[in-house]
Amino acid sequence: MRWNVAERVNRIRWIFLPLGLCALAAVGAHAAADVVGDRVLWFVDRVDALFDALWSSWSFTAPLVDLVGLTQRTWFARAVALAWELAADALIAVPLLGYDERDAAREWQLGRDLLRRIRSPLQLVRPAAALLVSLAGAFSIARMVQGSLQLALHLSWLAQLARAATLVSLAAVLVPRAVFRSLEHARTARYRVPAAIVLVPLLVAAVLSWR
Amino acid sequence: MKTRLPLLELFLSALCLWAGWYHTPAGALVRTAGAWLFRTRTTARPLLAYFGAGTLVPPRLPPFLAGPVPPAQALAYGAAAVLDGSPAELAPRIRTLSGRLGSDDAALIALFCGEDAARYAVDEARSAALDDLARALPPRAEPCIARTAQAAMLGEAYALGWPLPETVRITSAFGVREHPILGGWRLHAGVDLGTSVGTPVRAVAGGVVRRASSDGVNGRILVLDHGRGVVTTYCHNDALLVRNGQRVDKGQIIARTGNSGRTTGPHLHYQIDLAGEPVDPLRFRAQHPRTAAGATD
Repeated sequence: MRWNVAERVNRIRWIFLPLGLCALAAVGAHAAADVVGDRVLWFVDRVDALFDALWSSWSFTAPLVDLVGLTQRTWFARAVALAWELAADALIAVPLLGYDERDAAREWQLGRDLLRRIRSPLQLVRPAAALLVSLAGAFSIARMVQGSLQLALHLSWLAQLARAATLVSLAAVLVPRAVFRSLEHARTARYRVPAAIVLVPLLVAAVLSWR
Repeated sequence: MKTRLPLLELFLSALCLWAGWYHTPAGALVRTAGAWLFRTRTTARPLLAYFGAGTLVPPRLPPFLAGPVPPAQALAYGAAAVLDGSPAELAPRIRTLSGRLGSDDAALIALFCGEDAARYAVDEARSAALDDLARALPPRAEPCIARTAQAAMLGEAYALGWPLPETVRITSAFGVREHPILGGWRLHAGVDLGTSVGTPVRAVAGGVVRRASSDGVNGRILVLDHGRGVVTTYCHNDALLVRNGQRVDKGQIIARTGNSGRTTGPHLHYQIDLAGEPVDPLRFRAQHPRTAAGATD
């Protein structure tokens, strides 16, 4: 009976695995964007100060100073972080929906071949981002599991065990698949320079969010 | 990568989907689109509320103060404004919790989310700052975190000093007014304090200089970030005495008043923002400087 359940679940893996991979990357991208939110605010403040000095030099552009004024800057900074996160989702998470599972040995072999055929560092940006962001997602989900269990059951050892098990399972089962699919996608993906501009800071932010 | 663990894979995928669906802006976007498509109501929060662990929620503003706030009770006043309680009763509770948990922010979390949650956050967080403590808590704590953050924000606002001597008159109050230079009705997001050029401007609380710059509208402008979502702004200065990123203490002289930028005369534009929303600085003071007739900018 147990085998039958597993067999039935196995038949719909083509639906849940791509969705799970996409969600894992989206959680990671959010964790990364959130952890640098304050730095984004500082960055927006600097850019805003620069533009304010520029716009206020001429009377006809002076009203632009109030367009992103002192009051809107926090909203604007968070909107920048949100746009960055959604762009990262579009570049890393959405392509993971195209994951087409193969035999394990064949997938590893293909992955190694794809890695060998990479000609420029720009091609490596998406897979690297997929790896680090998926790991950030794994850390984030593992923390959620630990916190939820700890506050519901008040059993610290069980919560910590569940966190470690979730992290290891996600890192072993889903993260390699995300990287493989990203390697596959990176071969044909276009807009490599704009993608690198969005994703390289995200690599750093993703690592900062690991804990 | 076909393995023999379909149940584990299903469980892990479901876990990722749950986290992505309920706790990311992308998930909120999909849920909102779905609700719009099927004409149902969505439970998704506004997209920007998913940042800062839910701590940047503008507070419901309390009524104007009847009497002065003792500095040691500022946080209790903030908590009381959210809980509709009594500051005198809450102050000793906050003090006790703060002693047990090691910080005021953790004490506030204990007050709103329970001591277990606060203790867990203290153990797991990177620092004792409220947003780090909030990030350590699981997503189901978000509603109480929002209330904690509001209390902390109001408490911080109640503890603020005043940038100029109390004798300096307000020449233009907070609120919608007819702009003295540009015309038309606009929100005046702070108060204007009319004073001669060169009067020392003091930091109303400890914090970090987030902006020290100059432009033709705001003049020489200083923005201080005091933490807990409280930011103060000082415009039209003659000279700025601190630089970007510098830490300042409460009462430190940070600028000298002036007439720089788009003004009708020398004054200081002083503004308080709570979670990015401008609020009337007089709301947090029992004693108001006198208000002069006529508007300036």
